[in-house]
Amino acid sequence: MASKPQARNEHVVNELKETISRATTLLDSLAGEARGEVSVDGDEERIRTLQERLEVAESDLTEISTQLVEAENQRGRLMNLYVATYQLHATLEIEEVTSTIAEIARELIGAEKFVLLLRDEESSAACGVALAQGLEADERSFFGGDRYVGGDAAIDAALEDGSLRTRREPGSCAIAVVPLTVQGSVVGALAVLKLFDHKAALTPEDKDLLDLLAAHAASALLAARVYSATDRRLRTLESLVKLVQ
Amino acid sequence: MEATKILVVDDSKLIHKMFDVMLRPHNLVHAYDGQEGLHRLAENVDVALILLDVNMPKMNGLEFLEEVKRNADLAEIPVVVISTEGKEEDTDRALKAGAVEYIKKPFQSEDVLGVVQRLAVN
Repeated sequence: MASKPQARNEHVVNELKETISRATTLLDSLAGEARGEVSVDGDEERIRTLQERLEVAESDLTEISTQLVEAENQRGRLMNLYVATYQLHATLEIEEVTSTIAEIARELIGAEKFVLLLRDEESSAACGVALAQGLEADERSFFGGDRYVGGDAAIDAALEDGSLRTRREPGSCAIAVVPLTVQGSVVGALAVLKLFDHKAALTPEDKDLLDLLAAHAASALLAARVYSATDRRLRTLESLVKLVQ
Repeated sequence: MEATKILVVDDSKLIHKMFDVMLRPHNLVHAYDGQEGLHRLAENVDVALILLDVNMPKMNGLEFLEEVKRNADLAEIPVVVISTEGKEEDTDRALKAGAVEYIKKPFQSEDVLGVVQRLAVN
């Protein structure tokens, strides 16, 4: 069975084909008349009517083409969001969740340089650098190796107020900062520092993806952390039971 | 749409999932590095198209491509390189090595669908 978007696309394509067919018939008719029989007075009126109808058909064609392109864009946008969400929640391994966040940033958004900061579990004041990709030496030193202690205005503000930032702000080297939030608490942030040279700027679709990351990356990381801690405790208990036996 | 067999060689699970969704009517064979890609090709001689990443562990995309083009049985399979590497020399290197197309990541789905339609279906 065809899916709804597919059925809609097929409907749009069929309408497009019918419009093109009508326009072709009109053009043939006009061409035939232009070749010979425009001698009767009523023919001029008929040609004017046909031209008007042709203009309407061309306008319909343009509108349907625009709708088709929009439908295709929407399909691509939804597919990206679906795949990103699916992959974020497909595992309970912290490394794999972190790797998926990196893949979304690099492969779907086109980020060449980015850092993933996660607040320490014990002390929420400092952030660990969970992932840093493509950083130069000075940028690495700014993020303090494996610690971030503050200093970038946009990152600090996002960690404080939990708001997504998608443009460069004064005092910041980031072009986008995504706060990672679980139940109202900011547990970290993804800072995009540079896009690939062949990617000019963030698009509205990228902003949708960053928004999705803000909501889903943190919960996926939290689930992985809880699973890891539970698994550790379980192993400890199993070792103790074996010792007692 | 006629379904064909397509080999995807990429170290990103996200990209594999993306192609699973995007190319649903087709039969996809998955590999996560160049070496695995060669193994999968040996098992699937009827592959009609290869979608290939460049930066991968063990054997990168260009090494894989050279191996494929060296093998007379595989050399005719069209290879499309899909990579985050966007410099002109990267594109030239891949095309000189035998790739038929070079698509830069992040890509629009219609770019990939168009190439698949043209190279694997028609």
